[in-house]
Amino acid sequence: MTDVKSDKTASGWSRRDVLKGASVGAVGAATPMFFTKNAWAEEAIGNYPVKGSEVVFGFNVPQTGAYADEGADELRAYKLAVKHLNGGGGMLDTLKPSKLTGNGVLGKKVTYVTGDTQTNADASRTSARRMIERDKVIMVTGGSSSGIAIAQQYLCHELGIIFMCGLTHSNDTTGKDKRRYGFRHFFNAHMTGKALAPVLSNEYGSDRRAFHLTADYNWGHTQQQSMQQFTEAEGWSTAGNILTPLKTTDFSQYLAQVMNSDADVLVLNHYGANMVNSLTNAVNFGMRDMQKNGKNLEIVVPLYSRLMAAGAGSANIDGVLGTSGWNWSLQDDGSKAFVDSFVAEYGFPPSQAAHTCYVQTLLYANACEMAGTFYPPAVIKALEDFEFTGAGNGSTLYRGADHQCIKSMLVMQGNSPSARTSDFDYLKVVQEVDRETANYDPSIFPGELGPYKPA
Amino acid sequence: MFDLSINAFFMQLLTGLQIGSIYVLIALGLTLIFGTLGVVNFAHGALYLVAIYLAVSISDAFGFGLALVLVPAILFVLGLAMERGLIQYFYNRPHTDQILVTFGLAIVIQELLKWIFGANNVPFAIPQWGNGIIMMHEWFPFLEGFVVYPKWRMILVVVSIVTVAAVFALLHLTTFGLVIRAGMRDPEMLKFLGVNINRRFMIVFGLGAMIAGIAGVFGGPVTQVSPEVGMHLLVPSFLVVVIGGMGSLGGAVLAGILIGMAQSFTAHDINLSTIIVYLITVIVLLVRPRGLLGAKGVFE
Amino acid sequence: MNTQQSFFERNRAVIIFAIIALLMPLWFPLIGGYQGLDTKIMIMCILVVGFDLLLGYTGYLSFGHAAFFGIAAYTTGIMLKDFSGQVIPAIVVAVVLSTLVSVVIGLLTLKRTGIYFSILTLAFAEMFHAMAMAMLQEWTGGENGLTGMMTPMLGSIKMQGAVVFYFSAIIAIVMFYLAKRIERSPVGLMMRAIKCNQTRLEYTGINARKYKLLTFIISAFYAAIAGALMVVYEPFVGHEFLGWHQSGEFVLMSVIGGVGTLVGPMLGAGFMLYFENVLSADIGEHWLLFLGIIFMAVVIFMPGGFMEAISRLQARFNNK
Repeated sequence: MTDVKSDKTASGWSRRDVLKGASVGAVGAATPMFFTKNAWAEEAIGNYPVKGSEVVFGFNVPQTGAYADEGADELRAYKLAVKHLNGGGGMLDTLKPSKLTGNGVLGKKVTYVTGDTQTNADASRTSARRMIERDKVIMVTGGSSSGIAIAQQYLCHELGIIFMCGLTHSNDTTGKDKRRYGFRHFFNAHMTGKALAPVLSNEYGSDRRAFHLTADYNWGHTQQQSMQQFTEAEGWSTAGNILTPLKTTDFSQYLAQVMNSDADVLVLNHYGANMVNSLTNAVNFGMRDMQKNGKNLEIVVPLYSRLMAAGAGSANIDGVLGTSGWNWSLQDDGSKAFVDSFVAEYGFPPSQAAHTCYVQTLLYANACEMAGTFYPPAVIKALEDFEFTGAGNGSTLYRGADHQCIKSMLVMQGNSPSARTSDFDYLKVVQEVDRETANYDPSIFPGELGPYKPA
Repeated sequence: MFDLSINAFFMQLLTGLQIGSIYVLIALGLTLIFGTLGVVNFAHGALYLVAIYLAVSISDAFGFGLALVLVPAILFVLGLAMERGLIQYFYNRPHTDQILVTFGLAIVIQELLKWIFGANNVPFAIPQWGNGIIMMHEWFPFLEGFVVYPKWRMILVVVSIVTVAAVFALLHLTTFGLVIRAGMRDPEMLKFLGVNINRRFMIVFGLGAMIAGIAGVFGGPVTQVSPEVGMHLLVPSFLVVVIGGMGSLGGAVLAGILIGMAQSFTAHDINLSTIIVYLITVIVLLVRPRGLLGAKGVFE
Repeated sequence: MNTQQSFFERNRAVIIFAIIALLMPLWFPLIGGYQGLDTKIMIMCILVVGFDLLLGYTGYLSFGHAAFFGIAAYTTGIMLKDFSGQVIPAIVVAVVLSTLVSVVIGLLTLKRTGIYFSILTLAFAEMFHAMAMAMLQEWTGGENGLTGMMTPMLGSIKMQGAVVFYFSAIIAIVMFYLAKRIERSPVGLMMRAIKCNQTRLEYTGINARKYKLLTFIISAFYAAIAGALMVVYEPFVGHEFLGWHQSGEFVLMSVIGGVGTLVGPMLGAGFMLYFENVLSADIGEHWLLFLGIIFMAVVIFMPGGFMEAISRLQARFNNK
């Protein structure tokens, strides 16, 4: 943690700023103190240049609200990443190419500050601002939902701070709302549809009729569109789609409508508590034992997480198909190195949210080393179109055009209660979908990354 | 999308009834406390929260039967303790103070439960005898083809009806009830008459909490078990109480069912379903100043 | 000379507030504050002062002031996105629109009193919230919030950093001064009379409804200014701005500081935002638990909020 008082000149405002501001109208933007003095070719952007012997990262995760458990796991991963950056170990041994030394970043020791996003866009921005303005972080990372990620991504772009997204799955994060200063390692709804649809048609046949229940917010909409598009390409038809308010806890009124339709597959475009509730409700309605059109009625959950699976209970998710970005049971070197060190530190295996957060931190640090500077535009250029292996998803590309990682992903299935051996294998890997299948053309989504130097 | 077939209509009717049942159970305790004690209790949702966590823990460890007996009893005692330890000092304080202290309590309860159980959902398994579905088309011959409904949700509706009947019986058939009803109308007068209203108020608060306990045991598997549930129910249950009319039990029942039906029958249209509850609130309160069945002079 | 002195005398509170506010960038960092937060505190101060005129003086508890805050914020956002980056026209349009909405809502809700009034205002605000989340998603961005605005400008000055702070602080000082003027005016007297006994007031032939509506509109006007400034401060509108949690936060800020004092709610706002954003990070993941305990402790041991604690301390000090 940084000590605020010992760093008074760098934190808060200089007296000059105050006087300038007081004579309102006569001033332009508040210029940082160090603007003229340390004038290298690289000008001051955000909290660059980094002063002192330490560099601070900001970890902004949900600590209160529905995603608090996921946030806690993200924070564990971040702390582990800091430990490895300063002392070696974990994926530092497997990430290639890598310039990480295990001796800090660019000779500076990595420290961190934490904050609570409260899963509230306004609160997450105020928290990120504290890290940026007071604690002088060079990079912010975290988040467990897309709205929050997008809100922070815009803020960080304006302030010239790189934002490494945590768990966010909406197409918009690297689509309509992509920003030059925002990067996403996690996969997205479009990739889910692309990877899942062939598996579904293989498993359930190509003449299915799907009914969608969709959480009425941006992620839900993009997830539903992707699922509809790719299942229809497999020959399925779509019986209907009902938008459900985000706050819904009882889905029986919607399920009643689904049962009255002629659909034989129910797609739940829900995440978190929404998914736990809608799936449990559907099971209570006996939908998993129902026959429609002479076939078994099937339920699909496009985006899976371990916590959601645990929340719904294994009896309810038994056999249900969905996708995940990563799972601790993977046996490649990168995953093993990460899981082993995580288990050694905390006593249980990490979630996919922990994985993406850990990798994001390492990738940022590595980009700084490769660029030889913390200067944001140089770091951004180092991350753009960076090809790497050894981080758990095979050979991966950080695509420069939209800042989306293109990598392999997983189709998952709920484990039956009898096959489950611990609290951490609610889900099993059915298929690893390769990078080429998950890949797509970035130009299908609108949006501009914006300039390398913030306005 | 809107389907007016007999099957769809029947399903939506059942669903409305079942959604309404939970509202009724929670609002019943709230309106009892509201009407008799004059306390705006923002912690009532948190009492329900305590109930569902107790229910799922006891049920997992010792079976559902024990949870059914223990949870309402524990909640009753908890209610007494809460009234004696905290609420009684707020009878003559402004509503804003009551809101602040009970909202603070609700946060404390929610965060403590989160600390113990985590923020994630705890699966609440329905007991074996309540699991499965009811073939509605076998019971109601006018239905076409195959119509099913979860058995547990029907049990919830029945429990709700029984609870409402029991509370009505208590208030209308016993001396205790007579005093309480009189207290709801005019607490001052009762004091002049020398009735020890304080002890009865304590019991009323316990009763309100106990109803939340019953709601938790049967509602837990339906609303699910996570720390957010209490706050989610706070606004709708207050709306139910106010639409029904402050301190009116009949009103709370009527309003609970009304809101449940409104949600069920507008489910096909998100633009309507998200505002319908508030729309009903506005219309009812503008047309009927004290809610559907509210008494004059209460909380005005 | 004489009038000059009485001006200072009468406006002591405003002057003290002005000094504390304008010097905030100097002292706030010493206790862990930062620039973004002091601006937000100034904006919330504006809101709760207006809110206190309604709650503390007429006794009407609105649970729907997020509506005026949020409508102004969305309007400002849409103006900055689609019209121009100039903040003055955006703020004016937003405040006018939001205040007009308050006239309609005020006319309807003020027909009721007590808890019925509170629930009616809540219902209206939640209706707007639901509409922003569903029906009007195209305009509001729904759950993701409204983004992509132009850089807010005041003439040729970029509204960033210190400039936004002083802009907000000066408006806060002016608004506090106006509230103090209202407090002392005949309208202020009427407001207190309404709280005391509305029926008796009406027997004297005074149209209480007119004054209630006026106060409601004034407090909505304050909320609208705060909402518009929020977007100038940060070009982003979250749907939470319209939610009942936001309305509830206004109530909590006011009550914890002490209603009916104008200064108290500002203290409450400062405390809540400071706790939520600075102390929470030191406490860690269970900060909300401590906030709940503080709410209970304040209302149990200090009925009347922070202001009562201050006046008790003052009394003790004077006795010695």
